[in-house]
Amino acid sequence: MKISLTVNGAQRAFDVHPGDTLLEVLRREGYKGVKKGCGAGDCGACAVLLDGRAVNSCLVLAGKADGSEVLTIEGLSKDGALHPLQEAFLDEGAVQCGYCTPGMIIASLDLLTHHPDPSEEEIREGIAGNLCRCTGYTKELRAIQAAAEKMREARHG
Amino acid sequence: MGLPSVKEFVRPGTLDEALELLRERGERAWPIGGGIDLVLFAPREVEAVVDLGRLPLRYVRENECRISIGAIATLREVLESPVVRDYLGGVIPEMLHQVASPLLRNLATIGGTLVSANPWSDVITLFLALGAEVVLSDGKARTIPLEKLYPARALRGTILTEVRLPSSARESAAAFWKFSRTAFDVALLNCATFVRMVGGRCVEARVVAGGTPQLGARLPRAEACLVGSGLDDASIERAAEAARESADVREDRRASADYRRELVLVGVKRSLHEARGRLAGGER
Repeated sequence: MKISLTVNGAQRAFDVHPGDTLLEVLRREGYKGVKKGCGAGDCGACAVLLDGRAVNSCLVLAGKADGSEVLTIEGLSKDGALHPLQEAFLDEGAVQCGYCTPGMIIASLDLLTHHPDPSEEEIREGIAGNLCRCTGYTKELRAIQAAAEKMREARHG
Repeated sequence: MGLPSVKEFVRPGTLDEALELLRERGERAWPIGGGIDLVLFAPREVEAVVDLGRLPLRYVRENECRISIGAIATLREVLESPVVRDYLGGVIPEMLHQVASPLLRNLATIGGTLVSANPWSDVITLFLALGAEVVLSDGKARTIPLEKLYPARALRGTILTEVRLPSSARESAAAFWKFSRTAFDVALLNCATFVRMVGGRCVEARVVAGGTPQLGARLPRAEACLVGSGLDDASIERAAEAARESADVREDRRASADYRRELVLVGVKRSLHEARGRLAGGER
């Protein structure tokens, strides 16, 4: 079957098997920043924004995304400039092996878009579906706090 | 990965169209809300997926009698809805914050959650305590208590379109309690309580325990200890004890039956104290 998606702002049409997941389609089409981890909705490595909300793309049947807007980690930087979340993850050293990072950043983006000034508790809950086996989450937490501040400043000029 | 047996993915725009598709394709067709359980459990016989995501069932609204939640509303949409924010002291968002992860709550629908009937479901445990009803349609709509939907009746050819919660009566309160190893894990046990008081006496009580490891179920012996009481410490104690004795707890890989029995006692007690505190905190 054919589906059409807006991926990172670009209109795309894909031929998919009706049983494919969105994760399989995105990776097959070259969006390798979307990682496959557990394949069962536990680890969050495959997170993408689907119509503005972060979901586990391993659990979304591709047909369900037909007509939707998808944002992957590849779509975050603008004209070569990193997104504040990406910068903050670098600055705070919130990356070790890096496998969970795209999903972690996408989940954080959903959080900060809807809660620009989250408490520590809200940040912890916001990334509760993203497993990181390297860092212990402390540096991610700091990075998300730093990015939130930057994004608020940018918003208010 | 994926569902190799699936040959067809359809997205009806109306309920009639969806029912027609399910009728035509019979046992090979699966209706989905978010589709999570279908992908996770991937039953081999599924050839046609009927995505209900485009049906006009994505709402949370209220009138003077009830709150109505459309089957396709995601757990996140319910969690963030102003309609349920203050309902019975905010017990619905309190519970939903403890369900799975934000990523999963963005995908899971309320209808899918009720129909999938995963035995650890926090939503079902609380909604049973709240006296929820569900609207089913097979071409003709009928409303039944959520309790009557279980044990997992054959819903083939039928679509759950809406869940309804009675408007909160004066002097009523509810609370939810869950015990799990991590914030993200499913419950080793969950429970929910609802009480309604008139003139300082409890006239209606529902006590539910779930993930026992079976699906949430009411505990009538515990409820009987509350009705007629003033919800004093002694009656809460008696209700919690009755819950511990009467809950059908069993062992599975997550916990032993004995451990769960103690959890029922603690959970029911804490949940009732919480509900009583909410009564004292003002009418909702």
